[in-house]
This record gives sequence, structure tokens and C-alpha cells, in this order.
Amino acid sequence: MRQNDVIVIGGGLAGLFAAITAAKRGRQVMLVTKGVGAIAIGGGSIDVLGYDATGKPVRDPSAALGGLAADHPFAILGQQRVETAVQTFLGLCEAEGYPYQGDLQHNQWIPTALGRLKPTCLTPLTMNSAILKAATDVTVVEFEGLKDYSGRVMVDGLRQCPGYAKNYSLVSLKTDINDGRDLTALDVARWLDSDSGQAAFIERLTAAVRPGSVILLPPVLGTKPDYRLFHALEQATGCKLVETVGLPPAVTGYRLRRLLVNCLGKLNVKMIEQANVVRGIVENGRCTGIVTGNLDRERTYRAESFILASGGFFGGGLQAEAGRAREVVFDLPITVPANSADWSKEKLFFAGSQPFAKFGLQVDGKLRPVDASGKLLLENVYVAGKSLAGYDYCVEKSGNGVALATAYQAGAEA
Amino acid sequence: MKKHHYNPDSCIACTSCVAYCPVSAATRKFAGPKMMGPALERFRGGETNTDFSLDYCANCKNCDISCPSGVPISTLNMLARAKQYKNKRRSLLDWMMSHSDLMSKLASPIAALSNFGMANPLTKMILKQVGITDKMSLPKYASKTFLQQFRAFKQQSFPDKVVFFSGCFINYYAPEVGMDLVAVMQRNKREVIVPEGLDCCGSPLVGKGYLDEAVEKARTNIAALKHWFEQGIPVLTCCTSCGLMLKMEIQEMMDLELMEQLAAYTYDASEYLLELHAQGKLSTEFAPVAGCYIYHTPCHLRAQGIGKPSLELLSMIPGFQIEDADAGCCGQSGTYGFEVAKHDIAMAVAEPVLKRIREFQPDFIVSDCSGCRLQLSQGTGFPALHPLTLLRRAYEGK
Repeated sequence: MRQNDVIVIGGGLAGLFAAITAAKRGRQVMLVTKGVGAIAIGGGSIDVLGYDATGKPVRDPSAALGGLAADHPFAILGQQRVETAVQTFLGLCEAEGYPYQGDLQHNQWIPTALGRLKPTCLTPLTMNSAILKAATDVTVVEFEGLKDYSGRVMVDGLRQCPGYAKNYSLVSLKTDINDGRDLTALDVARWLDSDSGQAAFIERLTAAVRPGSVILLPPVLGTKPDYRLFHALEQATGCKLVETVGLPPAVTGYRLRRLLVNCLGKLNVKMIEQANVVRGIVENGRCTGIVTGNLDRERTYRAESFILASGGFFGGGLQAEAGRAREVVFDLPITVPANSADWSKEKLFFAGSQPFAKFGLQVDGKLRPVDASGKLLLENVYVAGKSLAGYDYCVEKSGNGVALATAYQAGAEA
Repeated sequence: MKKHHYNPDSCIACTSCVAYCPVSAATRKFAGPKMMGPALERFRGGETNTDFSLDYCANCKNCDISCPSGVPISTLNMLARAKQYKNKRRSLLDWMMSHSDLMSKLASPIAALSNFGMANPLTKMILKQVGITDKMSLPKYASKTFLQQFRAFKQQSFPDKVVFFSGCFINYYAPEVGMDLVAVMQRNKREVIVPEGLDCCGSPLVGKGYLDEAVEKARTNIAALKHWFEQGIPVLTCCTSCGLMLKMEIQEMMDLELMEQLAAYTYDASEYLLELHAQGKLSTEFAPVAGCYIYHTPCHLRAQGIGKPSLELLSMIPGFQIEDADAGCCGQSGTYGFEVAKHDIAMAVAEPVLKRIREFQPDFIVSDCSGCRLQLSQGTGFPALHPLTLLRRAYEGK
């Protein structure tokens, strides 16, 4: 049987990118996952650092990394390694025929489904908000029956954003989907995967817009990681197109996951789906294997090194109980305030960070877990993504960026 | 029932299952796994109509596989379907699609006549009236069942034993796959036991809402197998749906004595062979096997949480090249694709993998599941093999 060099636990953005990074170094990689992670239903844009510790919007994430607290994952990695991770990700997407745009020196502000702007760093070409920002005439396209997206709300929202007082016109288009359940952006994207859907949409859109306008529409331009429909529409309409961020299931993240999973296949990474990792086997401070526990029985898988990308409280990698929090696979301790009342602020949404949002594993410079005194706990386990302590992706807008950068580091070490 | 595996409130409504449900992608008539599973589960037992569109779920398990929160969505659907069907008059179609084991018992002894009978235009017309599509050929009964062939075969005796649970399809339609398993086991100094008294695994019954009957089948099978698994002798399947039933679905949907022990000793045949290899006990005296192959992973194998053991096994054959299609569900889901009302949905689900295979132009499609092999082979015109058949060829240098 093939020997694994590296086992990656977790199939979200961190797990997938760590597996790709390790496999590209020639390592034999196995990835074990329960579920598809958050990437499949998310927006697919890569936030790196949208707001600094004082809550101020960040213009240049690269420069702002220096101002982060010492236990922030970006501070542990340092600016150079974050830059390398970003470049590697951009190179990968380019090589796979679905390039992303943006760089670490600039944030971009992309429209949400409510017509508000959120900062992010890298996006697919279809979400390039510089085009929207420069536009004079904007045609906002909505689809009849599409839920979670209203052209009116979009226009009203954008009008309130400084610099976005533009000539908006609203166009409501029909799909050919007129039966069955509620319509989601994914349904429209699937319709636009089909030749007949594309032809109908190109015709309807071309008839509804004036050349030279910028077309803003929900994320519906196909489910596959390619730009064929995007380019065809730009050519047919004589307009530039911008997709907004969507609510789950948000098609743009679905495309990115497909791209990354395709990559795993090409790199001969073995993927075990539907497997719960229940514990690690540790001997003398080294992990020698992991155990999956399904309904039938437990199974042991061995490797030289391990990447823990099992997520935070939400993803199931961390667990909290009264007075205590723990990491699930290796039962590693999570440092938390002794008094549970100090774990959270009374108001869930307030201007700062909830203390629990930053709970997670503390690590050394190579992202290996350490205890509160800094002592190395596992010498061949590398942590990536939301299991890490020290960042609050909700408030900072840093989730996918931390996932990518730490995954790159873990994949390069393991 | 394992409670930790059954809580609809673990669902955080993230929509991963919606994104990866192949039936939802193919038809608007299915309200989708999140709605039909955890969302409506909370209303079941009340007055609300919670079962519209439930019939479209194919129990392919992609929802369970994609769920990050461990909700057994397809199981919630199957349990709801069983409840729904208790109070509903069943059609002949439903009965036929779920009791092919009984029909096979009657038809198989006169295989030549049955095959002729099933293939002629008049029967096809009648079947269509019942609700079985005429766009797909039903599988042909083998002239001798696996059990008949196995009983007539003189095995070499070895101290190491394995039990083989053939399942209906291999017994009645594809006995050669069962005999390939026997040959591969013999090559690895294992004696194959097929106990008396085994029944259908119950998977088609669960799919059609006949849960009570499936429970009886499971009880019968546990009784027939317990003498062996209680001694620690592994129970092998090479049909991925039978395997999933014995390993997981019995525990998810039923509460039977010894079900955990049966599950603990049930192995997919390729999984078992890989385990032998890990112990240094697998014969790797493989001769090269010529040809161009493409592998399709059955959803019910993915749902077992063991990866793709057949691909790993086949990679040990010197110089052997096989492409992993990795193009999603084949749509057949056991008998789903045979139904007039579902056939077009099944074909729409299958389109990406059919396209992939047509473009690849293989000599053979390779897949562990009989339903997948049938669907892919009929959908593309290329013949399909079980991985064990290839492995046997490699052992025998043919």
C-alpha cells in the first residue's frame, strides 16, 4: 500500500490548499474530511485584512500586517510568508485557467447582496469591483423569483456608499426555470451552465442593456471555474460585468472548491470523505497516526507528519464546554479566561471582537501547537486555518487569507 | 439507533447538501435535501404536509457526504418515506422495484425464458404501463446463479476464512463477479464461506419505504452471519450498497441486536485486500493487464468513509494505468433510473460522468457498484467491469 508522507485533517480552504502545497513538494498526501467545509457555500473571495485592530478599514493589507498583535497568525508568519502564499495561490488559479485578481498591497471593496461594500483582497475576475467603482452607468440585473437578492435593495444600498452616486438602472430578467422549489443563485448558475440557458440569457441581457454600461449581477455565471460565459457575455453586450457576493449557496466559492479539488486529483492526493477523525496517536511528542471513527469501526492511518485544518468551534475542530475549551483530535488545551463570563461580551454584535472568537491553538513559528508556556506539544503536527488562536475573521475580514497563508506554511513544513 | 448520528438540530442550514445534491441539480421537482431532511423533520408528527417531493430523493448519500455537521440527511428522508408509505396504497412499480429479490427467485431458475420474456416488446410495453422505463435494458438473469456456481466449485481449504455476502445483483445477474472474488481470495490463501440463509441486504426496500421488511431482512442476515462474525471472521461485500447497508444503514435506521458487531466486521472486498497488504499478506504477483480503463467511484462507496480502495489496489498491478473519472453521481441509485418518472432525472444526473467517459474512450469502465456499471455501460456503450475482475485477470495473467 502507498505510504503517506502527510495526512491533512480537514477539507475546507485550509485543508485543500495545504494538501496541494505539500503534494507539489513531492510529498504523498492523504486528506481526510467530514463534509465539504465552508468554502463550497462561501463567496470565494480571499479576505486578508479588511479592518485593523482599532476597527479602521485597511487600504494596504501588506503594510497593516505589521500592526497586528504578536499572537495573530499573520504576525507569526510574517509579511514575507503571507506574500508568498498569496502569490502561490494566484499562480495556482492562473495555471488552472481561472485566474484571480488583486494583490496584497491593495484592498478592494466588493458589493454584498445588500448593496453594502466589504473589503477583500483577491477575487475572481468576475468580482473586480474597480470596474464598478469607475462606472458612470450601472445596470443592476436581478432575476425573477431569485431569492436572497433584490436589485432594488442593491441600488438603494450602493447609493448610500460614498463615491457610488451613479446612474443606476434596474433590469429584471426571466430565467427559463418556472417550476418547482425556490430559486437560488446556484439554480440560475446551473441554468447558465447549459447551452440553451446561455443562449437565452445572452439574448435577453443584450436586449436589456446599453453598451458601455457596467452590469452588476448576483453570482450566477456558471458553476465551473472558467470564464467562458463571462467573456461571451462581455463580448455580446459590449459591457463589463461584475458579480456581487451572494448568500449561501454562493456560487463563487463553489467554483473555487471545484478548482482546488481538481488540483488534488491531478496531484494524486488521496481523499477520504465522510470520515470523522476521532483522535491522534501520539508517541513521545510525535504523532504517528490518526484514527477515524465511523458507524462501523475505527481505522488507523499513519504518516510522517500531519496538518490539522479541522476548523474552529463552527467547523467542529474546537469544542467548548463549561469552563473549558479543547481541540478535538489531539485533545490539546485551549487557553481561555478562568471565568466563563469573560468569554463573551453581552452584546453579540458590537464594535469589537468577541473574546471567544479568538480562542484557538497557540503555535510556534512553524505553526506547531505549544502550551501556555510556549513548550512544543507535537513536533510533527502543523496547524492551519480556524483552529488557530489570535484572530477574529468576522470582525477583521481575514478568514480565507489566514486559511491560505497558514495552509501554505503548514504544507511547506509538513 | 445511534443518537449522535441522528439529530436534525445539528443542521445549521449551511446549504452544503443543497449544493452537492445531484438530484436537486437535475430536477426542480425535488425540494432538496436540507428542506426534506432536517428542516421538515422538525414538523413531522404534526399536521403540516412535510412529505411533498420526498419521493425524488434517490438515497445516494451525497448530502450526508457533504454535510459538515454530521447530519444523516438521507436517513431522515428514508425514515420519513417509510412513515409516509405506511398509510399509502403502494403501486405495483414500487413493489417490483423493491422486491427484485423475490422476482429473481422465481425468474432466475428459468433464466433463458425469463430473459426472453423480459426483452420482448410486449413485456416491455406492459412494464412501461407499470412504470418501468423502456429506455434502459433491464439486466439479464445469469443461466446459473452465483450460489449455484459457488456450490459446484471445489475450493482449496485454508485455515483463514472470509464470509462473502454476495447480494442479489451478483447472485442473479453477475455471478462472475462473485466467482472473481472467490478466485482472488483463493489466490491469497483464504477460503470463502457463503452461509446458508442469507437474504437481500434490504437496500432497495429502504429506498422504496418498505422499512419493516428491510428490518426483517437485516434480522435474517444477522442471524445467518453471526456464527462467523462472532468468531472475528470478516464479512466481505463487493456491492457497495450491500456494504453500506451492513456497515451503516442498519445502525442508522434500525435497532437490532448484534448490528454493531456485524458492522465492525464488514469489509468492502478491496478494503479487506488493502488491509491484507498492510499486514504483508497480500499476494502481489500480478501480471501486467493491457487496456485503457476509467474508474467511477460509486456514491455508496464514498459514503463508507474509506476512500477509493479499489484504485489503490489496482495501482499495484505493474504498469497499470487507470483514469479516475471523478465526475459525480451516475444517477442510477439502484432502481431509481429504471422508473419512467425518474429516468430522465437519472440521465441528467449522469450527463457529466457519461460525457467524461465518452471523451476518454476507454476499453473498459471500472466500478465497484452494479447499478453504476449498468448505467454507465448502457449510457456510453463501453463495457464495464468490477475491480475484482481486473485483479483476477492480473493474478491469472490473462
